[in-house]
Amino acid sequence: MTNIALAATVTTGEAVTFWILAPLALLGAIGMVVARNAVHSALWLVLTMLCLGVFYVVQAGPFIGMVQIIVYTGAIMMLFLFVLMLVGRDASDSLIETLRGQRVAAVLVGLGFAGLVGTLVARAVGDTTAVGLEAANQNGNVQGIAALLFTNYVFAFEATSALLITAAVGAMVLAHIHKPKSERLGQPETMRLRFRPGNYPAPKPGPGVYATSDSVATPGRLPDGTLTQRSVPEILPTRELSPRETAPKGTEK
Amino acid sequence: MTGYLGSYATLGLLLVASVLIFVGAFTANRLLSPADPAEPAGKRATYESGVDPVGGDWAQMQIRYYVYAYLYVLFAVEAVFLFPWAVIFDRPGFGATTVVEMAIFVAVLALGILYAWRKKILDWT
Amino acid sequence: MTIKFPDIDYAAIAPLLIMFGVAALGVLVEAFVPKRARHLTQLVLALAGLVAALVVLVTQAETRVVTAGGAIAVDGPALFLQGSIIVLAIMAVLLIGERSLEKGGPFVAQAAITVGSEDDRRQAARADGATEVYPLATFAIFGMMLFVSANDLLTMFIALEVLSLPLYLMCALARRRRLVSQEAALKYFMLGAYASAFFLFGVALVYGFTASVQAAPGRMAGGVDFATIHAAATQSPANRALLFGGLAMIAIGLLFKAAAAPFHVWTPDVYQGAPTAVTGFMAACTKVAAFGALLRVLYVAFDGARWDFTPVLGAIAILTMLVGAVLSVTQTDLKRLLAYSSIANAGYLLVGVLAGVREGISSTMFYLVAYGFTVIAAFAVVTLVRDADGEATHLSRWAGLGRRSPVFAGVFTFILLAFAGIPLTSGFISKFAVFGAALDGGQTWLVIAGVITSMVLAFPYLRVVVMMWLSEPGESTPTIAVPGALTAAALVIGVAATLVLGVAPAPLLNLSDTAGQFIR
Repeated sequence: MTNIALAATVTTGEAVTFWILAPLALLGAIGMVVARNAVHSALWLVLTMLCLGVFYVVQAGPFIGMVQIIVYTGAIMMLFLFVLMLVGRDASDSLIETLRGQRVAAVLVGLGFAGLVGTLVARAVGDTTAVGLEAANQNGNVQGIAALLFTNYVFAFEATSALLITAAVGAMVLAHIHKPKSERLGQPETMRLRFRPGNYPAPKPGPGVYATSDSVATPGRLPDGTLTQRSVPEILPTRELSPRETAPKGTEK
Repeated sequence: MTGYLGSYATLGLLLVASVLIFVGAFTANRLLSPADPAEPAGKRATYESGVDPVGGDWAQMQIRYYVYAYLYVLFAVEAVFLFPWAVIFDRPGFGATTVVEMAIFVAVLALGILYAWRKKILDWT
Repeated sequence: MTIKFPDIDYAAIAPLLIMFGVAALGVLVEAFVPKRARHLTQLVLALAGLVAALVVLVTQAETRVVTAGGAIAVDGPALFLQGSIIVLAIMAVLLIGERSLEKGGPFVAQAAITVGSEDDRRQAARADGATEVYPLATFAIFGMMLFVSANDLLTMFIALEVLSLPLYLMCALARRRRLVSQEAALKYFMLGAYASAFFLFGVALVYGFTASVQAAPGRMAGGVDFATIHAAATQSPANRALLFGGLAMIAIGLLFKAAAAPFHVWTPDVYQGAPTAVTGFMAACTKVAAFGALLRVLYVAFDGARWDFTPVLGAIAILTMLVGAVLSVTQTDLKRLLAYSSIANAGYLLVGVLAGVREGISSTMFYLVAYGFTVIAAFAVVTLVRDADGEATHLSRWAGLGRRSPVFAGVFTFILLAFAGIPLTSGFISKFAVFGAALDGGQTWLVIAGVITSMVLAFPYLRVVVMMWLSEPGESTPTIAVPGALTAAALVIGVAATLVLGVAPAPLLNLSDTAGQFIR
């Protein structure tokens, strides 16, 4: 564990890691913004976060590095993907600008801000050397964090639990529909609904199976030869076969 | 192989080696195999148990999955706090106070699980 | 490896602990108390907790201590602001608990039900509102109280999140116009998360700046507690660019919560979309919390950089007053009008903050309390003016209300006059106090801008007054509902406080003056 102190100076390994991963991290960030498909954006972001996680490890913060990989790239990115699947992968951004020139202005201001912060940090810390790393890590990185967390920042730590439980309750309030028992149908009601006039109690006919198509979206044929829409699930569009699909599939050679 | 980064260097070498093996295997496959693929219609369609696929491969998920994913994230964050606690709580000087501090933290979060349980969020009906 | 656990003065932080405990209990109540009894239980629990916290706070009035390892400062401003938050929160909880104006209260029963569906119509008509609002509100109050007494930037950040997250959620829970409400919540959440990120980035830069400074012997060098930052700002040899960059970003995070221009754009939409009781809560309590934290950050931590930040923040103050005053003239919706008025008031509060003298602290604190009482009363009146679709907030609908219900129109006129700063109302005294403090501090330019914008701002208020009294009530003029006991209580407290603080402000002015001293 005392070896962490050595990391205060830039070693060859650190430099090599940096120059390999920094372009990758940048590539991921740019890819995330540029990618048209939201899922691709999320995966680019994963790349950036993984690279950052390795950076943290290299800079003598193994704990925060691992947290970055486990929590951010693991849990939080999964949550991102869940949200994307809720919204729809194909849902494209509306490209109508409500304010004219908004996007150009946003890019310019964003670049300006990045430049400003970049110069500021570069000028301020460019020629300074890091101090205090050795002292902070002298008993081990995780132990050092624990010592601070459970002493000086104990109140912030406990307040974090308030934050987490608020988030939990909030997620459940916003996303959970509670059906009271009175609204759940019992067996007699279900049967009455099933046999009420106008409802056909028997199972629906299966989909049509033909030489050219056997998809669930192809209507089945009744004994009298007419097609029945009842065999097609309501959410599916009725399938019209294209000439390409009715053509022989070319697998006979 | 010494120093702070030494232990990670082994891991890095392992990663490099595995990437090389992966890339090498696929390149060898590409080079060695005869390539005359037929491209009949429907070859690249999604496999759906022999039935012709309908619609896209994307289906909207139910929001209830989201709640589970969210609870998972919360407890992942809790675990982050448990790690540093786990390495120090039996050291001299820490002891009972740390245990109590963590107990309060976990108890508050346990309220969330209690709430979920009573609201029947954990039942899949 | 030896460590020393910090001494915690439990008596001094007891109000905080009470609110935390009440909020946790509230979650338990949600889980275990039968549905029918839940609303009453939650309401009584929340009010009892607030009153208990207030009582304990009063017994601690003389406490001046930095405790919990330097994370929490319990000093005059902290106690005064915590007390104001509790009192204003009591009024807000009364509004939140009101169920006689609308069957089931102002909150939706199940926020997850699709808007406009059959289930949604059914629940809008008769289901009881979600009682999760109470634990959420209590957590928010806990966060606000922690926010004004946090003594390091990390604790302050956690408190910022603890107060923000429940507010985002509560914004989404309106019973009527649910899509607008959800849109408001999403906007608030997105921009709020963005502002929090700025705050956090600023904390990191400031931490870098303090690296070589040791606040007290035995402590590690560097840190984000205010004593260390103060020491670093006055004596660190490091490049001050980090300090200014960090302060700028921290200020962005705080000014966002305070709704100062140009970080105000969320305010009108969120104020309009959120349930009116929650809007009142935000307008009063969030403002107290945000300015309390801003005061502490600027006076305790960054005191050494006063001459550097005053011009920048002064420009922001002037911009805020201008944006709030000018844009409120063009508003046609009452809740949006009050939102822009709240932006303008953030500008006047900034004038007090930037005074740089002790009177600046105390006058800002007085302003916060006075404004909080008035604004909650204003939103209480808004909840009363209703038609079949819920609250009628469009300005044209308010025309002729004076003929239909002189009492309420009179009350609202009084509130608007207080906003406009007419003498004999608390609005006049509080503006007088902050402008006076700014003159003492040599910020004449801010005072000039403040007086000019005050005159502009009086116009939209007077327009509403004229509309209410001088127009004939039409077919579409909504009725004024008879307030339930809870709304009536909140309204009476708010109006009485506005009047008393306008006629006899001396006790509160003295109190805020005695309390106006930070400890480091």
